[in-house]
Amino acid sequence: MQLLNTENRFGLMAIFLHWLMAILLIGLLILGLYMVSLPISHEKLKLYGWHKEYGFLALALAIFRLLWRLTNITPRLSLPLWEKLAARSVHWAFYFFMFAMPLTGWLITSAAGLPASFFGWFVLPNLISPDEASRVLFQEMHRWIGYGLIATIVLHASAAFKHHFINKDDILRRMLS
Amino acid sequence: MNRVIIKRYLLALLLFLLPIISLAAVPTWQIVPAESSLTFTGTQNGAPASGSFKKFTGDIAFDPNQLKESKVKIIIDISSVTTTYRDFTSTLLTPDWLNAIIFPNATFIASHFNKIGNNKYTAEGSLTLRDKTIPVTVLFDTEELSKTKGRVKGSTTIKRTQFGVGQGEWADTDTVKDEVQVDFVITAIHK
Repeated sequence: MQLLNTENRFGLMAIFLHWLMAILLIGLLILGLYMVSLPISHEKLKLYGWHKEYGFLALALAIFRLLWRLTNITPRLSLPLWEKLAARSVHWAFYFFMFAMPLTGWLITSAAGLPASFFGWFVLPNLISPDEASRVLFQEMHRWIGYGLIATIVLHASAAFKHHFINKDDILRRMLS
Repeated sequence: MNRVIIKRYLLALLLFLLPIISLAAVPTWQIVPAESSLTFTGTQNGAPASGSFKKFTGDIAFDPNQLKESKVKIIIDISSVTTTYRDFTSTLLTPDWLNAIIFPNATFIASHFNKIGNNKYTAEGSLTLRDKTIPVTVLFDTEELSKTKGRVKGSTTIKRTQFGVGQGEWADTDTVKDEVQVDFVITAIHK
Protein backbone atom coordinates (compact mmCIF):
# COMPACT_ATOMS: atom_id res chain seq x y z
CA MET A 1 0.00 0.00 0.00
CA GLN A 2 1.38 3.39 -0.94
CA LEU A 3 0.79 7.01 -0.12
CA LEU A 4 -0.12 8.22 -3.59
CA ASN A 5 -3.10 7.13 -5.69
CA THR A 6 -2.52 4.79 -8.61
CA GLU A 7 -4.50 4.04 -11.77
CA ASN A 8 -6.41 1.33 -9.91
CA ARG A 9 -6.48 2.21 -6.26
CA PHE A 10 -6.57 5.00 -3.72
CA GLY A 11 -3.38 5.75 -1.84
CA LEU A 12 -3.04 5.83 1.92
CA MET A 13 -3.32 9.63 2.13
CA ALA A 14 -6.59 9.79 0.14
CA ILE A 15 -8.11 7.03 2.30
CA PHE A 16 -6.91 8.64 5.50
CA LEU A 17 -8.29 12.08 4.49
CA HIS A 18 -11.61 10.53 3.43
CA TRP A 19 -12.24 8.88 6.80
CA LEU A 20 -10.76 11.63 8.92
CA MET A 21 -13.01 14.18 7.27
CA ALA A 22 -15.99 11.83 7.37
CA ILE A 23 -15.65 11.57 11.16
CA LEU A 24 -14.92 15.29 11.54
CA LEU A 25 -17.79 16.50 9.37
CA ILE A 26 -20.37 14.09 10.80
CA GLY A 27 -19.20 15.08 14.29
CA LEU A 28 -19.51 18.78 13.45
CA LEU A 29 -23.02 18.24 12.01
CA ILE A 30 -24.19 16.42 15.16
CA LEU A 31 -22.52 18.99 17.44
CA GLY A 32 -23.97 21.85 15.40
CA LEU A 33 -27.53 20.50 15.47
CA TYR A 34 -27.27 19.80 19.21
CA MET A 35 -25.68 23.10 20.29
CA VAL A 36 -28.18 25.34 18.49
CA SER A 37 -31.02 23.61 20.34
CA LEU A 38 -29.61 24.55 23.76
CA PRO A 39 -30.69 27.65 25.71
CA ILE A 40 -27.94 30.21 26.37
CA SER A 41 -25.65 28.59 28.90
CA HIS A 42 -22.03 27.98 29.78
CA GLU A 43 -22.21 24.60 28.02
CA LYS A 44 -23.64 26.14 24.85
CA LEU A 45 -20.86 28.73 24.68
CA LYS A 46 -18.22 26.03 25.20
CA LEU A 47 -19.71 23.84 22.45
CA TYR A 48 -19.80 26.81 20.06
CA GLY A 49 -16.11 27.31 20.81
CA TRP A 50 -15.37 23.68 19.90
CA HIS A 51 -17.57 23.81 16.79
CA LYS A 52 -15.64 26.85 15.53
CA GLU A 53 -12.19 25.36 16.25
CA TYR A 54 -12.93 22.01 14.63
CA GLY A 55 -14.71 23.81 11.79
CA PHE A 56 -11.50 25.71 11.04
CA LEU A 57 -9.59 22.44 11.24
CA ALA A 58 -12.02 21.05 8.64
CA LEU A 59 -11.33 24.04 6.39
CA ALA A 60 -7.57 23.53 6.69
CA LEU A 61 -7.96 19.84 5.87
CA ALA A 62 -10.27 20.67 2.94
CA ILE A 63 -7.60 22.94 1.43
CA PHE A 64 -4.99 20.21 1.81
CA ARG A 65 -7.36 17.58 0.46
CA LEU A 66 -8.24 19.65 -2.62
CA LEU A 67 -4.54 20.20 -3.36
CA TRP A 68 -3.93 16.47 -2.91
CA ARG A 69 -6.87 15.68 -5.20
CA LEU A 70 -5.63 18.05 -7.92
CA THR A 71 -2.05 16.81 -7.84
CA ASN A 72 -2.89 13.10 -7.77
CA ILE A 73 -4.42 10.85 -10.35
CA THR A 74 -7.90 9.53 -9.55
CA PRO A 75 -8.37 5.74 -9.72
CA ARG A 76 -10.45 4.49 -12.60
CA LEU A 77 -14.15 4.05 -11.95
CA SER A 78 -15.52 1.07 -13.91
CA LEU A 79 -19.19 1.93 -13.85
CA PRO A 80 -21.91 2.71 -16.41
CA LEU A 81 -21.76 6.28 -17.64
CA TRP A 82 -24.73 7.64 -15.65
CA GLU A 83 -23.46 6.05 -12.41
CA LYS A 84 -20.01 7.46 -13.03
CA LEU A 85 -21.56 10.85 -13.63
CA ALA A 86 -23.63 10.59 -10.43
CA ALA A 87 -20.60 9.49 -8.40
CA ARG A 88 -18.44 12.32 -9.75
CA SER A 89 -21.20 14.89 -9.10
CA VAL A 90 -21.54 13.80 -5.49
CA HIS A 91 -17.75 13.80 -5.20
CA TRP A 92 -17.53 17.45 -6.29
CA ALA A 93 -20.60 18.35 -4.24
CA PHE A 94 -18.61 17.23 -1.19
CA TYR A 95 -15.80 19.60 -2.16
CA PHE A 96 -18.38 22.39 -2.34
CA PHE A 97 -19.67 21.48 1.14
CA MET A 98 -16.17 21.13 2.61
CA PHE A 99 -15.53 24.79 1.74
CA ALA A 100 -19.02 26.29 1.96
CA MET A 101 -19.68 25.02 5.50
CA PRO A 102 -16.59 26.45 7.25
CA LEU A 103 -16.64 29.64 5.17
CA THR A 104 -20.29 30.46 5.99
CA GLY A 105 -19.52 29.55 9.61
CA TRP A 106 -16.56 31.92 9.61
CA LEU A 107 -18.83 34.61 8.13
CA ILE A 108 -21.39 34.09 10.92
CA THR A 109 -18.81 34.46 13.64
CA SER A 110 -17.36 37.50 11.85
CA ALA A 111 -20.78 39.15 11.46
CA ALA A 112 -21.46 38.53 15.16
CA GLY A 113 -18.17 40.25 15.99
CA LEU A 114 -17.09 37.25 18.05
CA PRO A 115 -13.89 35.93 16.48
CA ALA A 116 -12.76 32.38 17.14
CA SER A 117 -9.47 31.02 18.39
CA PHE A 118 -7.73 28.13 16.66
CA PHE A 119 -7.04 25.84 19.62
CA GLY A 120 -5.46 28.72 21.51
CA TRP A 121 -2.72 29.20 18.89
CA PHE A 122 -4.12 32.30 17.23
CA VAL A 123 -7.35 34.16 16.69
CA LEU A 124 -8.88 34.04 13.21
CA PRO A 125 -9.48 37.52 11.77
CA ASN A 126 -13.01 38.66 11.04
CA LEU A 127 -13.85 38.42 7.32
CA ILE A 128 -16.48 41.18 7.47
CA SER A 129 -17.40 43.84 9.98
CA PRO A 130 -20.12 43.01 12.52
CA ASP A 131 -23.64 43.32 11.17
CA GLU A 132 -26.86 41.76 12.45
CA ALA A 133 -28.56 41.37 9.04
CA SER A 134 -25.48 39.66 7.54
CA ARG A 135 -25.24 37.35 10.53
CA VAL A 136 -28.83 36.18 10.06
CA LEU A 137 -28.23 35.67 6.33
CA PHE A 138 -25.05 33.60 6.78
CA GLN A 139 -26.65 31.65 9.60
CA GLU A 140 -29.50 30.62 7.27
CA MET A 141 -27.01 29.73 4.54
CA HIS A 142 -24.91 27.66 6.97
CA ARG A 143 -28.02 25.85 8.17
CA TRP A 144 -29.37 24.97 4.70
CA ILE A 145 -25.98 24.02 3.29
CA GLY A 146 -25.67 21.81 6.38
CA TYR A 147 -28.97 20.09 5.57
CA GLY A 148 -27.70 19.65 2.01
CA LEU A 149 -24.53 18.04 3.35
CA ILE A 150 -26.53 15.62 5.50
CA ALA A 151 -28.63 14.61 2.47
CA THR A 152 -25.48 14.17 0.36
CA ILE A 153 -23.80 12.02 3.01
CA VAL A 154 -26.89 9.78 3.18
CA LEU A 155 -26.92 9.48 -0.62
CA HIS A 156 -23.18 8.76 -0.80
CA ALA A 157 -23.26 6.15 2.00
CA SER A 158 -26.37 4.48 0.55
CA ALA A 159 -24.66 4.20 -2.84
CA ALA A 160 -21.55 2.72 -1.22
CA PHE A 161 -23.62 0.13 0.66
CA LYS A 162 -25.63 -0.67 -2.46
CA HIS A 163 -22.41 -1.41 -4.36
CA HIS A 164 -21.07 -3.51 -1.52
CA PHE A 165 -24.13 -5.55 -0.60
CA ILE A 166 -26.19 -5.65 -3.78
CA ASN A 167 -23.71 -5.32 -6.65
CA LYS A 168 -21.01 -7.01 -4.53
CA ASP A 169 -18.26 -4.98 -6.25
CA ASP A 170 -15.13 -3.40 -4.79
CA ILE A 171 -16.36 0.24 -4.67
CA LEU A 172 -16.62 0.36 -0.87
CA ARG A 173 -13.62 -1.89 -0.24
CA ARG A 174 -11.25 0.27 -2.22
CA MET A 175 -11.86 3.10 0.24
CA LEU A 176 -10.98 0.75 3.11
CA SER A 177 -7.75 -0.81 1.95
CA MET B 1 -22.03 86.02 74.82
CA ASN B 2 -23.96 86.36 71.53
CA ARG B 3 -20.85 87.38 69.70
CA VAL B 4 -19.09 84.20 70.80
CA ILE B 5 -21.96 82.07 69.46
CA ILE B 6 -21.99 83.97 66.17
CA LYS B 7 -18.23 83.54 65.87
CA ARG B 8 -18.59 79.82 66.47
CA TYR B 9 -21.28 79.57 63.83
CA LEU B 10 -19.17 81.48 61.36
CA LEU B 11 -16.22 79.22 62.07
CA ALA B 12 -18.36 76.12 61.61
CA LEU B 13 -19.75 77.52 58.37
CA LEU B 14 -16.25 78.29 57.15
CA LEU B 15 -15.05 74.77 57.99
CA PHE B 16 -18.07 73.37 56.18
CA LEU B 17 -17.44 75.47 53.10
CA LEU B 18 -13.70 74.94 53.03
CA PRO B 19 -13.69 71.77 50.91
CA ILE B 20 -16.10 73.35 48.45
CA ILE B 21 -13.99 76.48 48.19
CA SER B 22 -10.78 74.53 47.68
CA LEU B 23 -12.46 72.26 45.14
CA ALA B 24 -13.65 75.25 43.20
CA ALA B 25 -10.05 76.12 42.54
CA VAL B 26 -9.57 72.92 40.53
CA PRO B 27 -11.01 73.21 37.03
CA THR B 28 -14.10 71.13 36.44
CA TRP B 29 -14.78 69.39 33.17
CA GLN B 30 -17.87 68.56 31.18
CA ILE B 31 -17.79 65.27 29.24
CA VAL B 32 -18.52 65.48 25.50
CA PRO B 33 -20.41 62.17 24.99
CA ALA B 34 -20.03 62.12 21.19
CA GLU B 35 -16.25 62.17 21.55
CA SER B 36 -16.01 59.80 24.49
CA SER B 37 -16.23 56.03 24.77
CA LEU B 38 -16.08 53.27 27.33
CA THR B 39 -15.36 49.79 26.01
CA PHE B 40 -14.58 46.43 27.55
CA THR B 41 -12.91 43.33 26.16
CA GLY B 42 -13.21 39.91 27.70
CA THR B 43 -12.09 36.53 26.41
CA GLN B 44 -14.46 33.71 25.40
CA ASN B 45 -13.11 30.41 24.07
CA GLY B 46 -9.67 32.00 23.73
CA ALA B 47 -10.86 34.88 21.54
CA PRO B 48 -11.76 38.48 22.36
CA ALA B 49 -15.36 39.55 22.92
CA SER B 50 -15.98 43.24 23.38
CA GLY B 51 -18.69 45.79 23.87
CA SER B 52 -19.25 49.27 25.16
CA PHE B 53 -21.38 51.38 27.45
CA LYS B 54 -23.04 54.12 25.45
CA LYS B 55 -24.10 56.27 28.38
CA PHE B 56 -21.99 57.50 31.24
CA THR B 57 -21.74 60.77 33.09
CA GLY B 58 -19.08 62.22 35.30
CA ASP B 59 -18.05 64.86 37.80
CA ILE B 60 -14.51 65.65 36.91
CA ALA B 61 -12.32 68.10 38.78
CA PHE B 62 -8.83 67.61 37.47
CA ASP B 63 -5.73 69.73 37.27
CA PRO B 64 -2.28 68.23 36.64
CA ASN B 65 -0.87 70.90 38.95
CA GLN B 66 -3.32 70.17 41.72
CA LEU B 67 -3.43 66.40 41.75
CA LYS B 68 -4.13 66.34 45.49
CA GLU B 69 -7.29 68.32 45.02
CA SER B 70 -8.39 66.49 41.87
CA LYS B 71 -11.42 64.23 41.99
CA VAL B 72 -13.21 62.10 39.47
CA LYS B 73 -16.53 60.34 39.67
CA ILE B 74 -17.88 58.44 36.66
CA ILE B 75 -21.36 56.95 36.66
CA ILE B 76 -22.03 54.29 34.04
CA ASP B 77 -25.53 53.42 32.84
CA ILE B 78 -25.44 49.60 32.80
CA SER B 79 -28.49 49.24 30.56
CA SER B 80 -26.64 51.18 27.84
CA VAL B 81 -24.37 48.19 27.23
CA THR B 82 -24.00 47.34 23.53
CA THR B 83 -22.14 44.59 21.70
CA THR B 84 -21.96 43.43 18.11
CA TYR B 85 -24.18 40.43 18.79
CA ARG B 86 -27.77 40.67 20.08
CA ASP B 87 -27.66 37.52 22.25
CA PHE B 88 -24.38 38.65 23.81
CA THR B 89 -25.89 42.01 24.80
CA SER B 90 -29.08 40.49 26.22
CA THR B 91 -27.08 37.90 28.18
CA LEU B 92 -24.93 40.63 29.77
CA LEU B 93 -28.07 42.34 31.07
CA THR B 94 -29.39 39.20 32.82
CA PRO B 95 -29.16 38.62 36.60
CA ASP B 96 -26.19 36.25 36.10
CA TRP B 97 -24.08 38.98 34.54
CA LEU B 98 -24.57 42.72 35.09
CA ASN B 99 -28.15 42.45 36.40
CA ALA B 100 -29.12 45.82 34.97
CA ILE B 101 -32.50 45.99 36.70
CA ILE B 102 -31.17 45.53 40.23
CA PHE B 103 -27.87 47.35 39.63
CA PRO B 104 -28.62 50.08 37.08
CA ASN B 105 -25.31 51.92 37.56
CA ALA B 106 -21.64 51.24 38.03
CA THR B 107 -19.55 53.95 39.65
CA PHE B 108 -15.88 54.74 39.52
CA ILE B 109 -14.53 57.19 42.08
CA ALA B 110 -10.93 58.33 42.28
CA SER B 111 -9.24 60.94 44.41
CA HIS B 112 -5.62 59.75 44.42
CA PHE B 113 -3.64 60.63 41.34
CA ASN B 114 0.03 60.05 40.63
CA LYS B 115 2.07 61.46 37.82
CA ILE B 116 4.15 58.64 36.31
CA GLY B 117 5.47 60.31 33.18
CA ASN B 118 4.98 63.04 30.67
CA ASN B 119 1.17 63.47 30.55
CA LYS B 120 0.84 60.01 32.09
CA TYR B 121 -0.93 59.35 35.35
CA THR B 122 -2.45 56.69 37.50
CA ALA B 123 -5.71 57.08 39.33
CA GLU B 124 -6.24 54.98 42.41
CA GLY B 125 -9.91 54.65 43.01
CA SER B 126 -12.71 52.24 43.56
CA LEU B 127 -15.17 50.67 41.20
CA THR B 128 -18.65 49.73 42.30
CA LEU B 129 -20.14 47.14 39.98
CA ARG B 130 -23.23 45.16 40.95
CA ASP B 131 -23.01 45.16 44.78
CA LYS B 132 -19.24 44.99 45.08
CA THR B 133 -16.81 47.87 45.57
CA ILE B 134 -13.19 47.05 44.83
CA PRO B 135 -10.04 49.19 44.53
CA VAL B 136 -9.04 49.75 40.93
CA THR B 137 -6.00 51.51 39.51
CA VAL B 138 -6.48 53.20 36.16
CA LEU B 139 -3.61 54.19 33.87
CA PHE B 140 -4.28 57.20 31.66
CA ASP B 141 -2.67 59.89 29.61
CA THR B 142 -3.87 63.40 28.94
CA GLU B 143 -3.85 65.48 25.82
CA GLU B 144 -4.70 69.15 25.52
CA LEU B 145 -6.85 69.64 22.42
CA SER B 146 -7.33 73.35 23.00
CA LYS B 147 -7.35 75.82 25.89
CA THR B 148 -10.77 74.62 26.94
CA LYS B 149 -10.81 71.07 25.63
CA GLY B 150 -8.92 68.02 26.77
CA ARG B 151 -8.82 64.31 26.11
CA VAL B 152 -7.99 61.48 28.46
CA LYS B 153 -7.27 57.96 27.24
CA GLY B 154 -6.85 55.17 29.68
CA SER B 155 -7.33 51.57 30.60
CA THR B 156 -7.42 49.10 33.42
CA THR B 157 -7.98 45.41 33.86
CA ILE B 158 -10.53 44.06 36.29
CA LYS B 159 -11.43 40.57 37.36
CA ARG B 160 -15.10 40.02 36.62
CA THR B 161 -15.65 37.32 39.26
CA GLN B 162 -14.53 39.68 42.04
CA PHE B 163 -17.63 41.73 41.22
CA GLY B 164 -19.85 38.69 40.80
CA VAL B 165 -20.17 39.30 37.08
CA GLY B 166 -20.93 35.77 35.92
CA GLN B 167 -22.92 33.92 38.58
CA GLY B 168 -23.38 30.19 39.01
CA GLU B 169 -21.89 28.14 36.17
CA TRP B 170 -20.54 31.36 34.63
CA ALA B 171 -18.19 31.85 37.59
CA ASP B 172 -16.03 29.24 35.85
CA THR B 173 -13.17 31.11 34.17
CA ASP B 174 -12.24 28.40 31.66
CA THR B 175 -14.59 29.42 28.88
CA VAL B 176 -14.99 33.08 29.82
CA LYS B 177 -11.77 34.42 31.32
CA ASP B 178 -11.75 36.34 34.57
CA GLU B 179 -9.76 39.32 33.23
CA VAL B 180 -11.67 42.02 31.43
CA GLN B 181 -9.87 44.96 29.95
CA VAL B 182 -11.59 48.31 30.18
CA ASP B 183 -10.58 51.11 27.80
CA PHE B 184 -11.91 54.62 27.78
CA VAL B 185 -11.57 57.88 25.93
CA ILE B 186 -13.02 60.90 27.66
CA THR B 187 -13.13 64.19 25.84
CA ALA B 188 -14.18 67.08 28.07
CA ILE B 189 -14.47 70.84 28.03
CA HIS B 190 -14.04 73.37 30.81
CA LYS B 191 -17.28 74.03 32.58
